[in-house]
Amino acid sequence: MTNRAVSVAAIGLFCPAGSGREGAVGGRKGEVPGFDARAWIQNRKNLKLMSRSVQLGVSAIRVALGEVSGWESVAPDRRGMFVGSTPLGGELGDLIPALEVATLPTGELDLSRFAERGYPLIHPLWLVKGLSNNVLGFASAIHDFQGTNSNYCDGEASGAIALWEGWAAVAEGRADLVVAGAADAWVGLEGMLGGLRGGEGAAFFVLRPAQAGDPFVIEPVEDGLDGPDPEEDTMGFLGAAWLPVIAARRLLRGEDVRFRGPGRLGLRFAAS
Amino acid sequence: MVTGVGVLSAFGRGPNLLEQGLRAGRSALAPLRAFPPLGLPLQVAAEVDSPLFDAPDFPDDRKASLAFAAVDDAVAAAGAPRLTDAGVWLGTGLSTVTVRELNEDVMPYVRDGVLDRVAVDADLRRNHVAPRRHLPERVTAAVARRVGALGPQSTSFSACAAGAQAIANAAWAIRRGEVNIAIAGGHDSMIHPLGVLSFIVLGALSPTTCRPFDHGRDGFVIGEGAAMFILEEESAAIARGATIWARLLGAGNSTDAHNATAPHPEGAGAALSMRRALVDARLPASAVQHVNAHGTGTPLGDAAEANAIRQVIGAEVPVSSIKGAVGHCIAAAGAVEAAACVLAARGGWSFGTAGLSDPAPLGVNARAEPAEDAPQVLLSNSFGFGGQNTTLLIGAPGFTPS
Repeated sequence: MTNRAVSVAAIGLFCPAGSGREGAVGGRKGEVPGFDARAWIQNRKNLKLMSRSVQLGVSAIRVALGEVSGWESVAPDRRGMFVGSTPLGGELGDLIPALEVATLPTGELDLSRFAERGYPLIHPLWLVKGLSNNVLGFASAIHDFQGTNSNYCDGEASGAIALWEGWAAVAEGRADLVVAGAADAWVGLEGMLGGLRGGEGAAFFVLRPAQAGDPFVIEPVEDGLDGPDPEEDTMGFLGAAWLPVIAARRLLRGEDVRFRGPGRLGLRFAAS
Repeated sequence: MVTGVGVLSAFGRGPNLLEQGLRAGRSALAPLRAFPPLGLPLQVAAEVDSPLFDAPDFPDDRKASLAFAAVDDAVAAAGAPRLTDAGVWLGTGLSTVTVRELNEDVMPYVRDGVLDRVAVDADLRRNHVAPRRHLPERVTAAVARRVGALGPQSTSFSACAAGAQAIANAAWAIRRGEVNIAIAGGHDSMIHPLGVLSFIVLGALSPTTCRPFDHGRDGFVIGEGAAMFILEEESAAIARGATIWARLLGAGNSTDAHNATAPHPEGAGAALSMRRALVDARLPASAVQHVNAHGTGTPLGDAAEANAIRQVIGAEVPVSSIKGAVGHCIAAAGAVEAAACVLAARGGWSFGTAGLSDPAPLGVNARAEPAEDAPQVLLSNSFGFGGQNTTLLIGAPGFTPS
């Protein structure tokens, strides 16, 4: 395999400790403080179709690209996108009106009633709102990324796989500009976490063939870290976004990051 | 190299049944059996009518059972190769809750038209396994455990392109030396009231039948299935004396960068995906002898795809869709259709398009009937909501690029 050297041109970070460089230090569990997706996503119709994790992801991608001057000169079919996410499906709350009209006095759901009276009460885009590739779908449309791409749902490994595949796409010459990272939101879903505190966050990296002046470089290494870093268990459960958020925080603090990819090698991120 | 195939489709369990059905030009669409039609615009479906073993760790998750059966069959078909170092790349779809789960986990907490989230949360703290049982990576991990594969794992969620995307990702991993052998494919089942709900409210299902590329096409018929492949690096496959079912020549992908559910009207993303696959395989468009279209039978989708095929491959190459025969298997569609292409490449035939009787003037050579035309290279398209597109190029076992 002949690889090109790859650098990180910018990072977009939202995490419970804050946004951007503010989010790189300290620890705080729960929501991203002060996050308002309307600051980053102008299309209100789209915004209504985005879950919290999608809003975080699409916003982080906009932040990251906003820090890279001239990225638009890369042809759209050479722009790639690799995203890690968690599939939680459609929002159950959106079904409640339909379920209510179909509920028997016994509390059981009557499927015939559900079909006859419930279906018309469900928003036509209910499925679309629950798609797990929505960060990729919306962000690729907003920024005209037409090139190679993939969306991974592998639990807490999702973000690592997205970063690995994003690096590989640039290194192997399949793309000249890649956005890679993950987004997730678990605040309010603590019941699913067996007592863990839910967190939320998104971190996306803009990767491209190495350029002088880019703040960070990535290189394959034989000894990627394996397993979580206890120091970083300070923001609550971040799901798919866990590793990209950790990597972004460390890089922004001036520290190196190593992690194991899905294959035999790992990746090392470091300051240029 | 494809050295093993396991597939479950509406024709039944096993590659032979899929081949016999498609080669005879039959359709496996049948009246819905999984649940009463309930007055919904859903008369027919493409259900897998084969006994499936229980998967105790995956209650109510039919697509997990489909995946395990397909994996077992693929491994057996490949001659039970050593899989310790294998990677697992699966594509899967959205797990909507079942009616039973709704009744047990949700309905007790609906009060005055509102979901009592505090009560739900309190109950979940006692049983936090329930809502996470559908997370798709669990099936990927279970497949790896089932066959003793210790290599990398990845779960592609690219809507209806997921199965094809997983196969592409595995092929690229083999090419760059991450593994020598992989299990790759897709699995999905949304034939239950809440699964079809999503497509009914979108207006994507045909109230009658699926007619890809037909003048009267009005949507797809819901299907289910799984297809798994053993993919091996060529020299390793030859060294162990594996039977070569077909060659995976290349793959490409793209995004429409256009709309969450509607395809790019000119098929720009689809065209780019096909071009990328050709570049990846180092083949000219003229090498393609048959196109398996995504071909859902929706008015907009077929028109956009036909436009893309005409641009990239031309107007003369035969184009067909098996969705009129096995329905739309959603996230598994790309894998089940790749299996059809592998069988066609191996057997020297190509499939037609069940449901196509009055071809629409879309500018491609949409073909209704199967043919014994010995295609050497087949191109297979898969497109998903969110605008993700994946194309696979599959060659006959003896095909060598000139």
